[in-house]
Amino acid sequence: MRVLAALALLCCTTEARAQRLPDLATGITEESISVASDYRGARLTVFGVHWGGGRGDADVVVTLQGPRADAVVRRKRNIFGLWINTDPVRFSRVPTFFALASTRPIDGFLAPDVIWRLGLDPGALAQLEGATPDDTDPAAYRRALVRLKRRAGLYRESPESLRVRDNNAFTVPFIIPANAPVGVYQVNVHLFRGGELIREETSEIVVSRIGIEKTVYTAAQDRPTLYGFAVVVIAVLFGWAAAFVFRRR
Amino acid sequence: MSVYLPIAEMPVNALLVILVSGAIGFLSGMVGVGGGFVLTPALIFMGVPPAVAVATQGSQITASSVSGVIAHSRRRGLDLRIALLLTIGGIAGTTTGVTIFALLKRQGQVDLLITFLYVVLLSVVGSLMLWESVRAMRRRAMGITPPRRQRKRGLAHRLPLRMRFPRSGLYISVIPILVIGAFTGLLAAMMGVGGGFVMVPAMIYMLRMPGNLVVGTSLFAITLMTAQATIQHALQTKTVDAILAVLLMVGGVVGAQWGARVGSRLKADELRVILALVVVGTALRLVWDLVSRPAELFSLAT
Repeated sequence: MRVLAALALLCCTTEARAQRLPDLATGITEESISVASDYRGARLTVFGVHWGGGRGDADVVVTLQGPRADAVVRRKRNIFGLWINTDPVRFSRVPTFFALASTRPIDGFLAPDVIWRLGLDPGALAQLEGATPDDTDPAAYRRALVRLKRRAGLYRESPESLRVRDNNAFTVPFIIPANAPVGVYQVNVHLFRGGELIREETSEIVVSRIGIEKTVYTAAQDRPTLYGFAVVVIAVLFGWAAAFVFRRR
Repeated sequence: MSVYLPIAEMPVNALLVILVSGAIGFLSGMVGVGGGFVLTPALIFMGVPPAVAVATQGSQITASSVSGVIAHSRRRGLDLRIALLLTIGGIAGTTTGVTIFALLKRQGQVDLLITFLYVVLLSVVGSLMLWESVRAMRRRAMGITPPRRQRKRGLAHRLPLRMRFPRSGLYISVIPILVIGAFTGLLAAMMGVGGGFVMVPAMIYMLRMPGNLVVGTSLFAITLMTAQATIQHALQTKTVDAILAVLLMVGGVVGAQWGARVGSRLKADELRVILALVVVGTALRLVWDLVSRPAELFSLAT
């Protein structure tokens, strides 16, 4: 309901601005997402309208990206009968989460180099640090990175999830799974006409721990000695309590 | 009931964790072992990162050992002097263990280390338990009582730096005590086990301690060692998950106490066979993961 109301509002402003340049207006249903102890992932919807073009000649591509981080990809080799992780390759600025939705599959109207340049492929965003081991193919590592992220549910490309309403209005539901990290997430809405990028809109949502999750995490990172002692004290109290409870029976 | 683990960064079914740790605690409480060596692989099979499983499991052992120490000190089954020496050796062991662990974690090999150590440990412990309990069952079936072991002078009586231990009635070298402590501490830090299954036989056969003091004394040392390992892991590897620790304590401590109660009324040999089979099964599963060709050759770490 909220989404539809917001869309209606956006559509009203369309008429007023229709004389100006071809344009785009977008919104997100959530401003921030809280990770509490019952966190099982989050849903949010990106919505928007575009105007000023002819009927049906526009394409919209929406991406949702998690914070960037380093990642190490290793390849297993069989050494003395055991499968052991070897040949590490480091990547930097890897999106920890990446979801993409579009009016139709992007390779249908965008050239591969455009997809790569605009960062509409999560593999394009990761930067290779240093050289790969001698007999290995850097592209294989990059493909493995994307494949492993995809399997973990952290990279999702689903063009069909973008729903076009009323020709110029669209909504995209996104799911951030519980295993995606906290941090600042970026929403990018791209408007294309005839394969040309007309306009790009960027907005941010913050996913942050709250309550006990936050207390535990920040304590573990910032006060590790205190945190370690606290866990030990809990353990001792627990064991002590159990000894008394079970003696009385 | 789903609970989000802040350090492991994953949601788990809290009820499942409590049930699994409770069942393993129950089984090991009946037989009289810690159970950490089955619970850590169980957590790994549930998808908890191995490093988090090992570091967190240590605090659960602290909790169950504290209840054990209290129970044994009520019966005066504790040699404080030996316990403190074991702990001194143990702290050297845990410090070394956590440092190796942190080093291998940086190189991405800590999962391999954990799996490898578990394969070795579980195969040895599992087959020894299986053999011991089958032999005991056969003996009872044939009506033979096991021969009483003579108290001979061992290596501990000949090495230098000897000390008097009035509570145990021993005059032995401190070197083997420190070594036993250090080895157990190493296991505690790198595997998330208490190490009672190594320490107790070593104390009986190497130190020739009286049987009624062995368990209480080892539990005392294990309490301090695993506490030290938890703090060191919190500092160096940052893989202790407090929420997971509490879930494990709820299941493990209650299960072990309940198991100990039930176990004292049952024949231990059959139970030991069950636990031995669980141990051997876990080892086989780990071996399989190590030698079978993986479907995915690449792995990802941050």
